[in-house]
Amino acid sequence: MTPEFLAAVIDTLLPREDKAPPGATPLPSGTQGGLDPGAYSQAHRSIFEAIDADAFVRADEAVRTAILQAIERVLPDAFRSLLVAVLSDYYESAAVLAAIGWRAEPPQPTGHAMAAIDEATRESLQQVARRERLWR
Amino acid sequence: MSPFFDPVDVVVVGAGMGGGAFCARLSERAKHLRIVCLERGGWVDTAAMPPWRRDWQRATINEWAGSPNLRLKAPTPSPSADYPIDDSGSPFKPLMWSGVGGSTVNWAAHFPRLHPSDFKTRTLDGVAEDWPFGYADLEPYYDLNDAAMGVSGLAGDPAYPPKPPRAMPPLALGRLGMTAARGFDALGWHWWPVDAAINSVPHQGRAACNYCGPCQQGCVNRAKASVDLTYWPRAIANGVELRPHCIVQQVVIEAGRATAVVYRDADGREVTQPASAVVVAGNGIGTARLLLASGLASPALGRNLMFHPAAYARGMFKAELDGPVGPIGCALYSHEFYETDEHRGFKRGVHLQVTRENIPLMQALRLEPAWGRDAHRLLREEFRHSIAILVLAEDLPEAHNRVALTDRTEADGLPGVKVEYTLSENSRRSLDFGLDRAEEVLRAAGAHRVVRLPLAPLTGWHLLSTARMGRDPATSVTDASGRCHAVPNLLVADGSLFPTVGAVNPASTIGALALKIADDLAKDIA
Repeated sequence: MTPEFLAAVIDTLLPREDKAPPGATPLPSGTQGGLDPGAYSQAHRSIFEAIDADAFVRADEAVRTAILQAIERVLPDAFRSLLVAVLSDYYESAAVLAAIGWRAEPPQPTGHAMAAIDEATRESLQQVARRERLWR
Repeated sequence: MSPFFDPVDVVVVGAGMGGGAFCARLSERAKHLRIVCLERGGWVDTAAMPPWRRDWQRATINEWAGSPNLRLKAPTPSPSADYPIDDSGSPFKPLMWSGVGGSTVNWAAHFPRLHPSDFKTRTLDGVAEDWPFGYADLEPYYDLNDAAMGVSGLAGDPAYPPKPPRAMPPLALGRLGMTAARGFDALGWHWWPVDAAINSVPHQGRAACNYCGPCQQGCVNRAKASVDLTYWPRAIANGVELRPHCIVQQVVIEAGRATAVVYRDADGREVTQPASAVVVAGNGIGTARLLLASGLASPALGRNLMFHPAAYARGMFKAELDGPVGPIGCALYSHEFYETDEHRGFKRGVHLQVTRENIPLMQALRLEPAWGRDAHRLLREEFRHSIAILVLAEDLPEAHNRVALTDRTEADGLPGVKVEYTLSENSRRSLDFGLDRAEEVLRAAGAHRVVRLPLAPLTGWHLLSTARMGRDPATSVTDASGRCHAVPNLLVADGSLFPTVGAVNPASTIGALALKIADDLAKDIA
């Protein structure tokens, strides 16, 4: 399994986004996001070994996608296992989180801000409170 | 010969919502009693909880997953003292936490009460069984439980009988909650901020919630009430002896009396603890497992398992909402359709609960497809732009839905356990009705696309009714005071007791019921 082949698999699972929404940066590919393709080669060997590596490297993205879709159908559990590993790493990447507009820092200790109830919602709640009882 | 401790008055098995509330209350009402609680797990260290860490997201599918089966497969050992559950025979997968505090350690802390009608479904709607007592009998205990746990919320909800003022104002609704509220308003439907066992302001020596998000990874700043933080300090101060890392193997039953429990202690030794009364509070699976393994003769034991069938509708909005922040289960809810309406084609009703966004990894993992360019597009559409409404239906008791033992012996020394559950036609109709209403709300709130999850497998938190209360020993396991018909000094004090379950989260009722069971026992002993 060459590094080129492993990277091709990871970047087919997680390609670079063509076009980001206004104001956002494109989602990076898996390897651009910092994933190390070699880190998956042993634990998920059955997936990589099920692929003709040379043909995969030579193929364009559409063909690579079709190959992985076929593998997913034949080896669903093993494929899912690889996907869980790859996505777990990808969504820890600061570059990926920044691209979706989220912070890289963990939830604590700072937490997040939440909008307090606005006047219109408060008024509508008062209307709900004036309803007849709903319980039996 | 196993070591023998001196006899005690009461041994409690399980230190979760039921066991914690029971111990705190009994130790206040009967101060002379020697009470020991045996808990299979340990205390959770808030410093070790994932929300401090950069890899916090992956903990949700590993050592802090809701499912014990997933935690047992995790690469890192979980702080929960789990046992495997064969859940292949159930569309809903049991979720729980085994440790001091029980599942309140990783719960969402949504804290609704049952409705008065939930206690008399046979009388009102001709289905299931009435509880042996009514809402009014449990109401004082709901109030006590609310005070002990600390509830943020708002009095005046027309969906409930009047409740005392909540201890704290409601948690912030956020943009997500206010957007959803507009949908309910547009349709003229009821909505109300949830009662949450989460501090919206500093309360009882604990901080206010800072809306960090992942409540189900434990609460690192202790804003979320869990029984290890609320009832247990009280119980221990009252003299209750809590022994963690002790796995009860058997309740010893001799000549129709419980005489002791046998447990495996933290060092692996088998220990016998004699007691005048034994109280089991291990949730609807753990309690049934232990009592079945102990040979309790009761035809209803393990039967009538109920979960609260669950489904989701998720709406996508152009407007930017909050993202995965704030308590996941605590925004607002609607009981517009909670009570029975025969024209709907099913009995009983549904609870609609506006929940907050999942974390990015969880969103990504459930997309279809979950990889490739389409996955990126779908995540872009959903992340910070979605509202999910959880539809909870009311299961009705069916004897074939059950907890049973397997032929295996598990690593904890007990027989293996399995769940067998089939979604009923009444529940399916309830969920479909609820999904239709949830989609209406989301579209009224401005959603441009709504996707449905018709059955949500990983929602099996509510493990109920496998040792239900009643008057007939042929169809129930205990009487109205939690005493087993067949063994009167063997009691149950958890959600296993529920004859019916309503359509709301059960922890508030579990706590209230455990307080009542403790009072009843204190009166018996006095």
